[in-house]
Amino acid sequence: MNAAAVMDPNPTFLQSTDTIEKGVEFIMTNRYRSIPVVDEEHCYMGMFGVNCLLKQVIPQAVFHSGLKNVGFIHESLLDLYHRFDEVRHEPISICITQDILPVSPETPLTETLLQLYETRLSIPVVKQGSCKLLGMISYFDVGAKILAAGAAENA
Amino acid sequence: MHDPHQAQVLFGLSPMWFAGTVFVISYILIVTEQLNRAVVAMLGASVMVVGGVLNQQAAMQGIDFNTIGLLTGMMIIVAITSESGVFQYLAIKSAKLVKGDPWGILVMLMLVTAFLSALLDNVTTVLLIAPITLLITDTLKLNAYPYLFGEIFASNIGGTATLIGDPPNIMIGSATGLGYNDFLFNLAPIAVFILALTLIPVYLIWGRHLTAEPRLIDKVMSYRERDAIKDPLLLKKSLFVLALVMFGFILGHDVGLEPATIAMLGAAILLALSCLSNSAEEQSAKVTRTLREVEWMTLFFFMGLFILVYGIETTGLLELLAELVLGLTGGDKTVTALSIMYVSATASAIVDNIPFVATMIPLIENMAASFGGSDELIPLWWSLALGSCLGGNGSLVGASANLIVAGFAERSGQPIRFLPFMLLAFPMMMASVFISSVYVYFRYL
Repeated sequence: MNAAAVMDPNPTFLQSTDTIEKGVEFIMTNRYRSIPVVDEEHCYMGMFGVNCLLKQVIPQAVFHSGLKNVGFIHESLLDLYHRFDEVRHEPISICITQDILPVSPETPLTETLLQLYETRLSIPVVKQGSCKLLGMISYFDVGAKILAAGAAENA
Repeated sequence: MHDPHQAQVLFGLSPMWFAGTVFVISYILIVTEQLNRAVVAMLGASVMVVGGVLNQQAAMQGIDFNTIGLLTGMMIIVAITSESGVFQYLAIKSAKLVKGDPWGILVMLMLVTAFLSALLDNVTTVLLIAPITLLITDTLKLNAYPYLFGEIFASNIGGTATLIGDPPNIMIGSATGLGYNDFLFNLAPIAVFILALTLIPVYLIWGRHLTAEPRLIDKVMSYRERDAIKDPLLLKKSLFVLALVMFGFILGHDVGLEPATIAMLGAAILLALSCLSNSAEEQSAKVTRTLREVEWMTLFFFMGLFILVYGIETTGLLELLAELVLGLTGGDKTVTALSIMYVSATASAIVDNIPFVATMIPLIENMAASFGGSDELIPLWWSLALGSCLGGNGSLVGASANLIVAGFAERSGQPIRFLPFMLLAFPMMMASVFISSVYVYFRYL
């Protein structure tokens, strides 16, 4: 078995030209932790996640400087909102992360599951030798497939 | 001259030529950064031994363990102290003392950087101060460049002021027996003066234009510096040990205690205090974490370098070079001292000042006979210290601290470019060296 067996072939995705506001609304409404982003040719570009929202509202210097001791900064929710307001109309392409490595449909199942376990987020399935997004693999997809296999055997 | 404890150079080659060649190749590799400098120094040192310039026993004797011990001890003390959050506290407190005024903050951050650089080391200081600087300038929506530029200058000037402030001073102090108080009384006054003068161009170029919106200043004023202190008990222990160590540096020289002994004792006491009331596993984890913070690469670089320099020293090459320098300066102490200062400053702006100073120390020592004894070399040591420490301000690669700050600037999207920095920094550095030369001339020559 391979990754294709456990992937959702019709995943939800965002376009790279969508705004951060749209992306945030989408993940907040649907309670997604992350969602794949594709360009106009359905080429996988990376993931947009709730982390992006957090990153936009924390003082940027914290990230640039690697400042770990930030207990002295006291901010209100309004301060955070103002920071978000400054970037809400920017395209999500400025915010996507590429630290989740995609698998191909042919990736062996155990290797796929290990990557899913280590990533702790849904992983994209991309056609080998191209960048086309073919599907997504989530914990729920895998869990449902495993339970379905057990149910089929018991039946 | 060559008695490398009876070692024989390979194939009967001339020790001077062999050692000189190894040294020059190592130096070129260090300067061009083709290979990690610690690796180059270790390789060069090994070749000195394998090639027969030194035997192992002689090589070990070449290592200045006073410098190594002092660096290691201070690194441990700083690693533990920085966990308390005291450095962030100082930076925030200083920004609030001037009511968040942008120019006032620049001055205060420069003063804090200079002060900490004098007590600790430059690299640690900027590693702790630059992140807070970026946060403050980001909050005030100001360009961080003037602040980071000022901190680079302040760190190198502050480091000039004390024995432990900058590695060249540590090496000079260790080689000559000049103590903490000697550096403090002889270099601190001129360092303070130069720092004050540095504020003038910084103000004229940037300071007078710095403004921020009141609502943003209010944000800086809302920082609670007390919350930066993560571990008040550790802070008390650290400050207690730091005070003991400084006290030890001041008095130790008179009772025959070397700075390395004092620093290592301080490090051991602080490690012991920080481990108290912890289980064996926690103690082990704590000590491991602290020792991981020690810059082993720097220490191995120093050890390799000392062996390299000792190798060429035993062959008599540095004695020949010293004679050459004296020939060029006509054996005049004033000309020699000022030449050392300007050459050191220029060289330190271009290349790493540590190998340069490591080479210059035995070279200057070889001039003792010509000038009538080692006491007559004092102006030359101050010239070397001032030139090599202040020279670090001349370019972005002049000191490790400069590169650390440049790294922070790059990540924050406000890069410090090599040439624009040098166009401003080099003349300012040369002005500081000129002031130093006037100081050395009137005080010591």
